[in-house]
Parts: sequence; C-alpha cells; structure tokens
Amino acid sequence: MAAGSRVAVVGASGAGKSTLLGVLDGSVTPTAGVVEVHGADPAALRGRELRRLRARTGTVRQHLDLPGQLRVVHNVNAGRLASWSAARAAWSLLRPVGTAEVRAALERVGLGDRLHDRTDRLSGGQRQRVAVARLLLQRPELVLADEPASALDPALADVVLGLLGRLATEQGGALVTALHDPALALRHCDRVVGLEDGRVVLDAPAATLTVASLEGFYGVIR
Amino acid sequence: MTTLLDRPAPVSSRPVRDRRRWGWAIAAVGLVGWALVDSGLFSGAVLNPGGAAQFGRFASAAFRPELAPEFLAVVAESALVTVAYAVLGGGLAVLLGAVGAVAVARSTWGRRRTGWLVARGVVALPRGLHEAVWGLLLLNVLGLDPWVGVLAIAIPYGAVTATVFAGILDEVPRSGYDALLAAGAGRSAAALYGLLPHAAGSLLSYAFYRLECAVRSAVVLGLIGAGGLGYQLSLSFTSLRWEQVWTTVYALAVLCLAADAGGRAVRRRVADPRPGGDRDRVLTGAGVVVLALTGWAVWYLTLSPASLVSARALEQLSYVVSAAWPPSTEGALLADVAGAALDTVLMSVLAIAFATAGAVALAGLAARPPSAGLPRRFTGALVRATLLLLRAVPPPVWALVLLFVLLPGVLPGALALGVYTLGVLGRLVGEAVEESDRRPTEALRSAGASPVGAWLYGTVPSLAGPVLALACYRWEVAIRDTVLVGLLGAGGIGVLLSAATASFDWPAVATVLAAIVLLSLVVDLVSERARAALR
Repeated sequence: MAAGSRVAVVGASGAGKSTLLGVLDGSVTPTAGVVEVHGADPAALRGRELRRLRARTGTVRQHLDLPGQLRVVHNVNAGRLASWSAARAAWSLLRPVGTAEVRAALERVGLGDRLHDRTDRLSGGQRQRVAVARLLLQRPELVLADEPASALDPALADVVLGLLGRLATEQGGALVTALHDPALALRHCDRVVGLEDGRVVLDAPAATLTVASLEGFYGVIR
Repeated sequence: MTTLLDRPAPVSSRPVRDRRRWGWAIAAVGLVGWALVDSGLFSGAVLNPGGAAQFGRFASAAFRPELAPEFLAVVAESALVTVAYAVLGGGLAVLLGAVGAVAVARSTWGRRRTGWLVARGVVALPRGLHEAVWGLLLLNVLGLDPWVGVLAIAIPYGAVTATVFAGILDEVPRSGYDALLAAGAGRSAAALYGLLPHAAGSLLSYAFYRLECAVRSAVVLGLIGAGGLGYQLSLSFTSLRWEQVWTTVYALAVLCLAADAGGRAVRRRVADPRPGGDRDRVLTGAGVVVLALTGWAVWYLTLSPASLVSARALEQLSYVVSAAWPPSTEGALLADVAGAALDTVLMSVLAIAFATAGAVALAGLAARPPSAGLPRRFTGALVRATLLLLRAVPPPVWALVLLFVLLPGVLPGALALGVYTLGVLGRLVGEAVEESDRRPTEALRSAGASPVGAWLYGTVPSLAGPVLALACYRWEVAIRDTVLVGLLGAGGIGVLLSAATASFDWPAVATVLAAIVLLSLVVDLVSERARAALR
C-alpha cells in the first residue's frame, strides 16, 4: 500500500471487511500467510518492539470498544497510552493530563463541550466521534476505520472521514476504511477494494468507478 | 464541514465531581485508616515471636496429613454429620423461606404499607443474628439435641431466603397476574398461574445456592459443639494434632468443592434450559438426591419432632424469655456494648479492605483466560485451589492459626476474617473478570498500550463498580462473621455475648443481641446506600 493512499474496503455484510482490518492491526492472527505492517511482521515481534510497531497503527473499531464508565477525556487520552508510563496513566485517571490537546481534538470532531461527560451518556454518533478523537491524539501512520460513519449524519460523516484521511496522509501513512456508503467511499478514498466471501473481487482506482457500479456490487437493484 | 466550524466555540466545561461518590470514597478511606490505626499496626508490637516455631510445625503438617485408617473413618463419619445438618437446615430454610416470602412480598400487601413494613421488620430480626448465635441460644433451650444444629441454620437462612424469594416474586412482570385477576381468579390462584411460572427458575437457583452455603454453616456450627467436621477440627486443634487438623481441612475443602460444583451445575442448567420438552436429567437428579438425602438425614440424626415440643423445651423457652425481659440497661454494660460494637465494625472494615485488595490483586490470575499456555493455566489452577482452601476453613479456625504469630487483639480477628473473605471475594471477582468485555483492552493493546495501561483504561473502568459492590455486599456478611469470631474469643461484640450466655445473665444477653441486630441493620443500610451510589 502506497504512502498517502486512502483505501475503501467495500462488500456485503459478512464479506470479511472487519477481519481484514483486524489482521492489519494485529487483533486477529492470520491462519495462513504473512502480513507485513510498516515493513515488519507483527507475529515475529515481542514486547516493547511489538508495542512500538502497534502504536503506529490506529483503529476505530466497529463496536468502538470504549468503556462507558470512563469520562470522555480519559477515553480520548487512552490514545496516548503507548507513550505513557503506567504511573502517568494511573495519575491521569485521577487528574486528567494534557486536557488542552484533548479539548482541541474533541473540538475538531464537534464535541468540545463534552470533555467531562461519562462516555455512556453520549449518543452512538457522539461516541463514534470520541473514538476518532482518540486517534487524533494517537497520531498513527496507518489509520484503520471500521464503519467510522455508520451512526453519523451526512455532514458529520464527511467531517470525520476528511479528518481520518488527513490524519493518515499528514503522517505520511495511509487510511484503510470499511464503508457501506458508496458515495462516501468515492468522495474520500482514491482506491476501492471489494471483498466477497473473504476474497478480493475488485481493486480499482476510485476515479474509474461510479456510485451506480458500486451499488451493483452491494446487490442494490433499481 | 463548514456547518460545524462556523458554530460558536463551545463553553468550556469543568469536571463535575459526582458528590455522592466522592463522599463515599472519602468516608471509606477514612474508615479503613481508622481501622488500621486502631488495630495497633503502627503503634505497638503485633507479632508474637514465640509462636513462630509452633506455626512452622502447623504449616509443615500441611504436606503430611494424618492418613491412618481409624482417623479417616472418623473424618468420614463427621463429614456425614455435617452433610446431614446442611441438608436438613438448608431444606427447612427453603421451606420456611417459601412460606415467609408470601408474608413479606409487596404483591401480598399491595398498598397496605404498614403491614408490609411490620412483616419486613419481623424477618429482619432472625436475619441479623449469625447461625452460631442461634446455635448458642437454641442450645440453652433445647439442650443437646440435633434440632439445635438444624434450626440454627434454618431460622436465619429461612429469613434471608424469604426476603430474597419475595424480591424475586416482586420483580416478575405483573401483566399475566393482573390479567388473571381481571378474569376473576382469586389472588393465590392468580399468583400460582401468573407469577410463579416466571419466577420458578430464579427461585430454584437460589434454593440450591442456599443449600451450598448451608454446608459451610454446618461446619461452623460444629465448632460450637454441634458435631461434624467443625467439631473434629476444633478437637484436633485444641490437642495440637496438626496432621489431623490438615486432614479435616482437606475433607472440608473437598466437601465445599463438591457443594460448589453441584450447586453451580444446577444453577447453570436452570439459567440455560435445554431445548425440547423432555425432563431435564440434571435437575430431576438433583431434586431426587436432595429428597433422598433429607430422608436419610432425618434417620441419621435421629431427629424427632417430639423433642421440639416436649414439655421441658417449652418450659425452658418460657423461662429464658421471661428472664431476658426487660433487657439490661445498666450503664457499664451499655458502655461495654458500644465499645465492642465499634471494635466489631473496625474489625470488619479491616477484613474487607484486606480481602478486596487481595482479590483485586489475584483477579487476573484467578480468572480462566480464553486462551493461554500451560504455565498460565497451572498458575491459575493453583490460585483457584488456594482460594478454595481459604474459604473452606471457617474464620474462627483462621483466627486460631493467626494467633500463633500475632498477639491477641483486633488484628488476628480482622485478618482471619480477611483471609476467609479473600477466598470468597477472590472467586467472585475472578468470575466478574471472566465475564467482562475484553474488547476495549484488546483495542488498546492493538494500539500499542502497555499491559498496565490497557488494564487501567480498558478493564478497570467497567469492573470497578461491580467489584466495589461485591465488597460492600461481603461487608454485610463479614459483620455477622465478626460476631462469630468474637464468640470464639477473638474480640468484638461476640466476646460479650459468649460471656453473658456463659453466666446465664439473660437480661445482658438480650441487650447484646439487640445491639448485634441493630449493628447488622445499620451496616446493611449503609452498604445498600453505598451500592446505590455505585450504580
């Protein structure tokens, strides 16, 4: 995958989009073959080196996996855990560290006033943006996003995908995102990969595709 | 995108502290600090250097328990006695609970709140006293009769079961019941067809849980002389036969493990019934076994209803009741009671603080991981076995063991309770960890967080509430157990009770009993409020 590229992964439910992203961030162990992330094989690394490699990949998960009992500020700060010592992480739970940056990140996703709310008091769309704000603090080179806009209105979906795309390219990295909305995929990505039953059945530059052709891919009949 | 950025900058929010929680947190820290200072840990000698050698002999005997056939036969017979008491006490408690539940359920009383409050108050009295206290009182009324052990379990357990059963019945959706009433059915018939079917699973599951607990209580009753494994344990202990002590302890552990495993199997099956209309073999089998055991136990203990209503028993009962009324209000006694009550609270707080800290530290190891290598599995099994051993030995025995190495005072009692509670809490917290959602932690790990960081931000937030709630709940149990530990001499209000009963000072007994009931009511109330703040 070239630096600066933005790739949309499309496919019907159960096609293997989430599994592909899981293999990339190391939470799913491939049963066959080797995956190289940032030029290294995660399976061959251990301990601190593995952590350093993993810190360079940031993920917005499909189910977000943000503990609801934590305040927003902590959930966003969790993006910096890779560079924090255990003592600093523990202290920050009592007195949040670096709130200015957290607030700036939250403001970029339109949640600046929710800094101290409990995460489970937010709506699904707001939580999705908290997960994106966490990534803004983590500053990963490879951004993986599993349906990052599924609970957002069209305007916010554009904002969030724009942010993720810029985040990845600013660091000289790449964005891989699973999307269900063909128009969104074409607007924000420059390459589209289609999956069916875990196999790649489409790999084309976004410029050569149309919304209608992608809809066909999902089986939409008009 | 511009739609967002054009909005006025949001007003900066300040962290809003949850006042209730902060209040509770400060109070808890203060109480633990007070208990620590009060225990004399910082102010004087607590270690007993002379006892180290004895403790060494005791500990080393763990690896060479007494295995002589004659002694094993004695242990087996004691185990049967314990099982008999547990089955009869627990079974009777479930019966009493089922009847009592009707009396204390909100559904029975409807809008007549006064009646409901009175019923609840009546049930609170037997609940507030530990099984051993009931045993001691019944011993004075019935003399040496097997009914003492059975009733000592059945009365307090029956009251707890009634409250829990009533709670379960009250939480069942009412629409079916209301529909039957509207169709002209009587209230009891409507309850049978509209309420009971919904609640049956939870009721059955709790009944088996009570039977499980009854095994442990039967052991404790043995310590105050009711026979069985507990009695054997105290005999071996006082004659300093450590090898025999360990044989009995292992027998206890096996018995507790069997009760745990059996109860758990039944409760799992109730929670997750098999599809299909066939009768469930595990449940039917469990029912048949319990019924058969009950019949056997009546025969084995030679329990006769006649001795319960014999003239002598009734005469003794009326004598004790009339002698105990009015309770003593002597100034010196009241001051003693107040001081001992404070000691009891501090002991229980220290015990819970120790147990909670230990349980949290061990939780990661005690939980069965979804996938792990052999060394991790082995460590996990070892930790779980140790926890089982900790909770198999009743707290008074732990107190005796700790008195080898510690000087008498609040500390050995508190630690004894703490060690026992660690056995219980360790398992509960381990189970909570097993059931918790691992994905947030995994997400953090896959973003490069350290194990500690991922644990702090992924696991702790979702588990802190449930674990603290469990600790509060165990505190309610611990305050009753503190009385038990004191009853056998480790300090606190139990010492006063055993002194008053030994000298047949019935008015003083009545005062101390009232204080104990009040103390457990207050602790229940405080713990309930604290748990509400955690939600």
